[in-house]
Amino acid sequence: MNLRILWMYHDLMDLYGDKGNIQVLKTRCEKRNIEVTVDTCTINEVRDITSYDLFFLGGGADREQNLIYQDLLKRRDQIREAMDQKTAFLLICGGYQLFGRYYKDQDGVELPGLNFFDYYTEAADRDHRCIGNIAVNVTIGTESFDAVGFENHGGQTKNVFNPFARVLKGHGNSYDSGFEGFMNDQVIATYMHGPLLPKNPKIADIVLKRALSRRYDIRELSELDDTIENKARDVMLRRLGVIS
Amino acid sequence: MDIRLSLVQTMHRILAKTGRGGSLPGSLALSLDSNFIQKFKMPETVILVTGTNGKTTTSNLIAESLRHAGKTVLNNHRGDNLNVGIATLLASGSDSNYQVQADAAVIEVDELTVFRQFENLHPTALVITNFFRDQLDRAGEMETIIRKLMQVTENFEGDLILNGDDPNVIRIADNAKKARIHFFSVNENVVSRNITDEASEGKFCPRCGRPLIYDYYQYSHIGRFRCPYDDFGKITPDLLVSSVDYDRAVFRAEGRTFHSFMNTIYAVYNCAAVLCVMKTLGLDYQAADEVFSNYVLKEGRNEVFNLSKPCTINLVKNPTGANEVMKYITSQPEEKNLCIFLNDNDQDGHDVSWIWDAHFERLDDPLVKTIVCSGRRAYDMALRLKYEGMEDRIRVIEDASEAVRWLDDQNLESYIIATYTALHSTRAILRKEAKRHR
Repeated sequence: MNLRILWMYHDLMDLYGDKGNIQVLKTRCEKRNIEVTVDTCTINEVRDITSYDLFFLGGGADREQNLIYQDLLKRRDQIREAMDQKTAFLLICGGYQLFGRYYKDQDGVELPGLNFFDYYTEAADRDHRCIGNIAVNVTIGTESFDAVGFENHGGQTKNVFNPFARVLKGHGNSYDSGFEGFMNDQVIATYMHGPLLPKNPKIADIVLKRALSRRYDIRELSELDDTIENKARDVMLRRLGVIS
Repeated sequence: MDIRLSLVQTMHRILAKTGRGGSLPGSLALSLDSNFIQKFKMPETVILVTGTNGKTTTSNLIAESLRHAGKTVLNNHRGDNLNVGIATLLASGSDSNYQVQADAAVIEVDELTVFRQFENLHPTALVITNFFRDQLDRAGEMETIIRKLMQVTENFEGDLILNGDDPNVIRIADNAKKARIHFFSVNENVVSRNITDEASEGKFCPRCGRPLIYDYYQYSHIGRFRCPYDDFGKITPDLLVSSVDYDRAVFRAEGRTFHSFMNTIYAVYNCAAVLCVMKTLGLDYQAADEVFSNYVLKEGRNEVFNLSKPCTINLVKNPTGANEVMKYITSQPEEKNLCIFLNDNDQDGHDVSWIWDAHFERLDDPLVKTIVCSGRRAYDMALRLKYEGMEDRIRVIEDASEAVRWLDDQNLESYIIATYTALHSTRAILRKEAKRHR
């Protein structure tokens, strides 16, 4: 078995330790004897997006986001095709925003997004930046569990019909919104940095299962020892008053 | 005579006598008068020092060098670089008419408040050490800081002392048309590399957005770079360190040899900044070299405590600082234990994700025996090391005293890395622990 990961704009969209997510996905495969290929792709680089099982795009500062923006739009058809061919997507922060209808900045300038989904994002005023530790409850299929992260975004994402998680402590898609991220069968999109996956191994394994099932018939992954992962997560859940 | 000022000054004197410094007088002053800082009549030379890393060390080296050159200097040597600290400093160093009693003031300023202090303190020179990715949840994006600094220096007519090897810093020069620009730079040397896995900022030309081409990297994104299209990065240094000899801890500049106070590339950059200031002010380099030769780093900067075996503590605040400290630790030839204190209080930054941007895989060295993880986010640190394959060497001891006691009991040299709020408490514990061995 082998897993092919495409890490988009690794050199530009790598804010807040998002690269840690790749490290977690890679390690969790290797521990299960699943071969992993991680290819990176930057501006103007030729890559066949449709040949990958997992598409990962992290967050970037405004300046970096503006640099990759045109390049990403040019790849729209290929991304669509990858979606049709069951590639799994993990999108963080800026990556999340860019897959929606548009992003309207503080001056009211509207940058059109890839427009795959109905949500859109508008810049917030200074008092409504969503920043801090966040705890959420994720329900995927029959599984339901708590997850933690760190959110840090000015953009207020609205019109999300299928949120990724319910907020237990923190803001989520917009200031005090109650819901976090976006999800469908293939895509998990979220504002949660931290990075997301190290302290939330269940999310990591869900992403892996989705990606592997593109080419393999896989129901379950073997168990790994997640003692440290769970302890690190519980420290934060406890601090946020979610567990005692 | 101003009753508020004398009240604040008296308070400072009393606190100082009882051995308590701190910024309490400054907070009182600012609560009585929010314009307190603007009232002071500043000396002829006012040097502000800002940047991400090396502010405290560089400003202290400048202040000491000026003193060795015969000047009287007021400076916030403990790194109290926020409003209250600066208010305390000015009150303590002025007469009853707000006249600062010194030839020069050398003031370290937090990069987030430098805009305000620029207007308050009327600097004659501004020194910028570097701009790295820092505690982003506190700092906002670095880009915002740079843009604001470009605004405040737009009409500045004094001396700008800039790190000529940092693309984020030399951007300031593009916009400061009225200032006198002085670049310091360090030539290629044995630590320079053609490729890097450390640079996260400064990859693109700020003028045209095209990728910058690097001849070499010194550390992080510091190095020799240029834009092939518009010559961004083509600088003429005022102060060039022409060579560095790490075996002898010396470097060459201006046709003579200087001693480095610590045998690392970032220390050489600190020295280069100081020498650039000396040159700008027309002062004798010898004064600076005397300071470099005898300088003892401040608290938590490679500070050694005598436990059963020596224990060295270093402050880290961001990935670049952590990378450099780890390089230093693993370059030491003996077996050692490590302890990392990771806190996430206000002054540390609430977001600890920066540990995933830092190269902790460097600690995967046969001479590193055990790595103790401690502090409020001890398990986050343990997890980070687990993902570098060091699981069997990790030991989580959340309580700081227990962690230090464990290190001491191992009878092996040790190195502690601590975030800001962990530093002071850990130093207190180390002082106590060291007493057991006297």
